[in-house]
Amino acid sequence: MSTAAARTNGLALFLLPSVLLFALFFFVPIGLMAVMSLLTGNPVVAPHVGFTARHYLRIINDPYYLEVIWTTIRIGLWTTLVSLLIGYPLAHWMARIRSRAGHAALLMAVLAPMLTGIVVRTFAWMALLSDTGVINQTLISLGLVIRPVQLMYNETGIVIGLVHIYVPFMVLTLTGVIGRIDERLEQAAENLGASPLRSFLEVTLPLSLPGILAGSLLVFALSISAYVTPILLGGFQVMTLPILIYQQISANFNIGFAAALGMVLLLVSLILIVAYNRVLGLVSGQHDLQ
Amino acid sequence: MSPAAQHTPSQQLSRELAAAGSTSGTRNSANVQRRPSAARKRTRPGRVLYLAVNIAVLTFLLAPIAIVVVFALNPTPFIQFPPVGVSLRWFHKFFAARDFMHALGFSLEVAALTTSCATLLGGCAALAIARGNPPGARVVLAIMLSPLMLPAILTGLALFQTYVLLDVGRPLWGLVAGHTLVTIPYVVRTTLAVLHNFDLRLEEAARNLGASPSRTFFEVTLPLVKPGVLAGAIFAFIVSFDQFPVSLFLVSPGNETLPITLFNYLKFDLDGTIGAASVVSILLALLVVIALDRTVGLRAYVKL
Repeated sequence: MSTAAARTNGLALFLLPSVLLFALFFFVPIGLMAVMSLLTGNPVVAPHVGFTARHYLRIINDPYYLEVIWTTIRIGLWTTLVSLLIGYPLAHWMARIRSRAGHAALLMAVLAPMLTGIVVRTFAWMALLSDTGVINQTLISLGLVIRPVQLMYNETGIVIGLVHIYVPFMVLTLTGVIGRIDERLEQAAENLGASPLRSFLEVTLPLSLPGILAGSLLVFALSISAYVTPILLGGFQVMTLPILIYQQISANFNIGFAAALGMVLLLVSLILIVAYNRVLGLVSGQHDLQ
Repeated sequence: MSPAAQHTPSQQLSRELAAAGSTSGTRNSANVQRRPSAARKRTRPGRVLYLAVNIAVLTFLLAPIAIVVVFALNPTPFIQFPPVGVSLRWFHKFFAARDFMHALGFSLEVAALTTSCATLLGGCAALAIARGNPPGARVVLAIMLSPLMLPAILTGLALFQTYVLLDVGRPLWGLVAGHTLVTIPYVVRTTLAVLHNFDLRLEEAARNLGASPSRTFFEVTLPLVKPGVLAGAIFAFIVSFDQFPVSLFLVSPGNETLPITLFNYLKFDLDGTIGAASVVSILLALLVVIALDRTVGLRAYVKL
């Protein structure tokens, strides 16, 4: 790196096209969204447009919208918690497995769902969780239940679907951090008489805390912005922020209010992103650029 | 998995290096030798639990994908379990349905255009960041990677509002621009990873042997960076092909991408056609994973 870290040279110009793309199709639109959230109407169609805070006041003053935001956060928290609980063992196994073929197979198993479309995976969960789905049919044929158990069209179904979609992100983040923990530390603990469980609880787990934090922030950020899974597995019964945003556009064409809701989601996401980068920067010390 | 064999030497080497580091004293290595057998005896129940949990998690991850295949092949007109037989009727229906075929074609078109744009822009950007020392490289990189975490639905909403304000309708270039934004991070990451693992002495050697900077670039740098760019391109393609939230706001009725068509269909119908469509996209994803493994190896991606 030291030789390249000299001075800015001509190659830096290659950055310009991307910078232009991000400026025109990212910053300008987001800026426009911020402006639109403060306008009384659409400046293209309405002749007299002024500034107003009413879209934000509407969100704050109407308990319905606060309830929607809380539902979104609640689903995000549950998704994060469950993803962490089931993702950690798999990440640990992946980081510690000795055989190369085993590692490749585990990686394949984690990446394959990630590379399958969200709509496809949500369909799979609908087929599994619906009243005539795999789980209920199996339970009924085994005589365990008489009537189908309601597994979807509620928040439980949404969380199950979201966990499936975002647990790979948790696993990949955790594996990276656990893999960096020196295995000899665990061995030392065990040689000194600690049981494997104790060596895990007192050595590995504390050292992997940054990974836990980073993975959780990532999964939370992703799950509060999910649209497909909450709408299909929630069966239009559960309202979350992204669903509300799209509804404001498609049903009401209330661009200003949609923009204000978008700004709320943006703010929350930005906080999470900054925290995520901080945590990962701390753990690796070589994140991003190095 | 023959391609995995390519990675054997480096991994073997790193393991040996790690072992060499720990064998500064012979007692140390003896401990390492003894420990596993002793631990295995003591912890068998724990180990069994550990494996059982992991297998359950793997089942959770993979079973839904298997279920999709089962439903795609099951001939009953509604979701039914256990399956009653095997037929290809849903595949016939899928490939005969004009809206699905149109959506599939449109998705492939958008994904191809997106991949070209994202690969070109992202590859250049990664090169500039790693080699050009642009001012504020850290901030620029953080911004370029931010679409990975920033809700794509906001990118879609913001672009939608902009297009409405500019009164440009819902053009194809608008959709491709949105897709390019959310796929560029993948190209930048994979390309940067290769550039950072790059032995700079190779370039120096070429220069010392009298090659011009441009010749060094085209004959040394570019071929060595190719796998990273290629991996990024493959990711960009699959991410664009599966992209939903940006498309949701930017497609025009009658000109929808496959995920949007599937979603609209799913809102009302739950039959095997969706299963068949899903299997087609799963096969595509599988092809991509294999292609990734062939080009750069899966490990290279996850190490990022």
